[in-house]
Amino acid sequence: MLKLRSGVIVLLVLCTLVLAPLAVMAQEKVIKIGAMYPMTGRAGLYGLDSVDAAEMAIAEINGKGGVAGYKLELINTDSKAKPDYSVMVAKRYIEQDKVHFLFGVVSSAVGLAVTEVSKQSKKIFIGTDHASTQLTADKFQPYYFRVSNNTFQSMAAGALYLKELAQTKPWSTIAYVGPDYAYGHDQWNELKFNLDRFGVKYKIVGEYWPKLFAPDYTAFITSIIKDKPDILISGLWGGDSVAFIKQATPYGLFEKVLFCSPDAGGNYEVMSATGAELPLGLVLSARHHNNWPETAANKEYVKKFFTRTGRYPTYAAEGAYAGILAIAQAVEKVGNPTDTEALVKALEGMKIKLPEDPDDFTSYIDPATHQIVQVQAIGVTVANDQFPPAKRMLGNWKVYKAEDLLPPKDFSEKKK
Amino acid sequence: MDVSFIAVQLLSGLTMATLLFLVASGLTLIFGVGNVFNFAHGSFYMLGAYLAYQTVSAWHGNFWVAALVAAIGAGILGMMAEFLFLRRIYGRAEEGGFQILLTYSFILVIDDLVKMIWGTEYKSLLRPAGFQGSITAAGVTMPTYNLAIIGIGLLIAVLAWWILARTRPGRVARATALDREMLGAMGVNVPRTMTLVFGIATALGGFAGALAAPLRSVTPGAGIEVIIDSLIVVVIGGMGHFWGAWLGALLLGEVNSFAVAIVPEWASVVSYVVMVLCLIFKPEGLFAPRQVRKA
Repeated sequence: MLKLRSGVIVLLVLCTLVLAPLAVMAQEKVIKIGAMYPMTGRAGLYGLDSVDAAEMAIAEINGKGGVAGYKLELINTDSKAKPDYSVMVAKRYIEQDKVHFLFGVVSSAVGLAVTEVSKQSKKIFIGTDHASTQLTADKFQPYYFRVSNNTFQSMAAGALYLKELAQTKPWSTIAYVGPDYAYGHDQWNELKFNLDRFGVKYKIVGEYWPKLFAPDYTAFITSIIKDKPDILISGLWGGDSVAFIKQATPYGLFEKVLFCSPDAGGNYEVMSATGAELPLGLVLSARHHNNWPETAANKEYVKKFFTRTGRYPTYAAEGAYAGILAIAQAVEKVGNPTDTEALVKALEGMKIKLPEDPDDFTSYIDPATHQIVQVQAIGVTVANDQFPPAKRMLGNWKVYKAEDLLPPKDFSEKKK
Repeated sequence: MDVSFIAVQLLSGLTMATLLFLVASGLTLIFGVGNVFNFAHGSFYMLGAYLAYQTVSAWHGNFWVAALVAAIGAGILGMMAEFLFLRRIYGRAEEGGFQILLTYSFILVIDDLVKMIWGTEYKSLLRPAGFQGSITAAGVTMPTYNLAIIGIGLLIAVLAWWILARTRPGRVARATALDREMLGAMGVNVPRTMTLVFGIATALGGFAGALAAPLRSVTPGAGIEVIIDSLIVVVIGGMGHFWGAWLGALLLGEVNSFAVAIVPEWASVVSYVVMVLCLIFKPEGLFAPRQVRKA
């Protein structure tokens, strides 16, 4: 009896051993996507939101049977927001994991490093959440595509907002505060470039460069108040924005100047972290808003993300979501994920309907720069508790047409 | 630059200096008494901020109670870290290297712990009731909460000085710094003193985190940002000198504050310049006593 039973077990084990590889072979064909999002430190929330949103898009597409007979598969390695480490990960993805696409990254510094790997190994890199304009201008290379706005587009929208403002509420002086690295400096240069381009007259009365992640802004705040600018442009993001706003409120800064932060100031994390402390009337924007446009698609997207994760998405999430849709659409068109040149052709000029698109507009990838072209809406903080824990959201929207926000041909960050 | 603006910048610098001092004081205390450089001191600061957030937001506690909870919580965890881990490496040949590795690993562990418990979203605390507005006198506006922080910082500095200089436990702590073996031979429980000092130092860090929470964003990684500036303060003030930490913080806070107003494009390097000058001309620390102490 005992012998018989052990015999059965041996047989079963043998069967598994023989059949296991067959089972693997019978699996569907996969499109492998190698993501590099930071999961730790200050940018950890962006990484987490991006991975959750990408997984959400993948689940939707695979649920409908995948694309062209392929299932999508995402692997993520913590980029630690470090360029040299991310380059190592990208090379490992290409050589060992045989990924079809490089994907992600939050920091522009990482983006600039990974785009070099993409260029050398001719592997498509889909950029979802880093805003440095250089990637689609000075450092453009044919295998890089970006599916979220860059800082130039945000700053062009900001400049148009200020131009309109001057007609109803004249202003003349302007000051800037932004982190002391490429992202902060690019924004200020691009804002000035766009104000000049749109013929707006202004006088700069102060420029301030706190360190990235600086905990204390008090000295900056009191110094800005002394400068008496009409407009204060902020290039701060995330926790830095939160700390600045919290420290500036009791000084009455927001009654004295119009605070305007068109690239990342209106990201949902700022609203969720500051709650009722966020002053009303700040002029903010972000690359995606949870309450604009009020289309069925955007509401559906926000709701699905909330159901899946228990929190509302930051803009990072929509970038990753868009990236997966772009890959799926490209593979659908080409029929396989391996013909890189054909995929590049498919991505160039591709139209993608995204949650952030109003009903009368569809985002598309500019074939010349590989930068996605999108509408940008700028809003003002108003009371709204529909997205807790936030107590303020943006409202009184002003919407800017996508084509008005594009950099002129041969725009280069270095020339200015 | 008029007088009221100078007063405003002085007060701005003082706020920054006080928070710097509260973090740096714990760092310098551990170094002075235990000869341990605690890389993870900033993580206890961060933990304090999260504990305060937890007490206020989830348990609906009073902010000042929350600050106390933060101090006690960070203190207990600090004592555990010393008792369970650091104690094992005292006196090893390569102690310095082990200290850095071990305390650096604390940073990673505490960061992940915080992420597992509270998630990666930014947390935020309101300023406590009664300290939400500001007062204006002679054209100088000052938030009341910033004034409270400055007051509390001074109080702690005086209290700590009194304990160290005038009480028996304080004398034992100072003696530990000078000669552990002799102290042990005289019947003092040296290991217990070390654990206690470590606990007090991390409690100071946790308390600083709680006080800073209503002004800053509470986020994983918040510890790293304060540790560098605190280290500069400790170096300027003289490693292990309590008053040095206070004066170092004051110097750094004010220099920063006026650099922002006068040479904004160079403001972020000024602290490092001060440190470099100090290391060149008075490497034992600007405010260290004349003769160099032998450990």
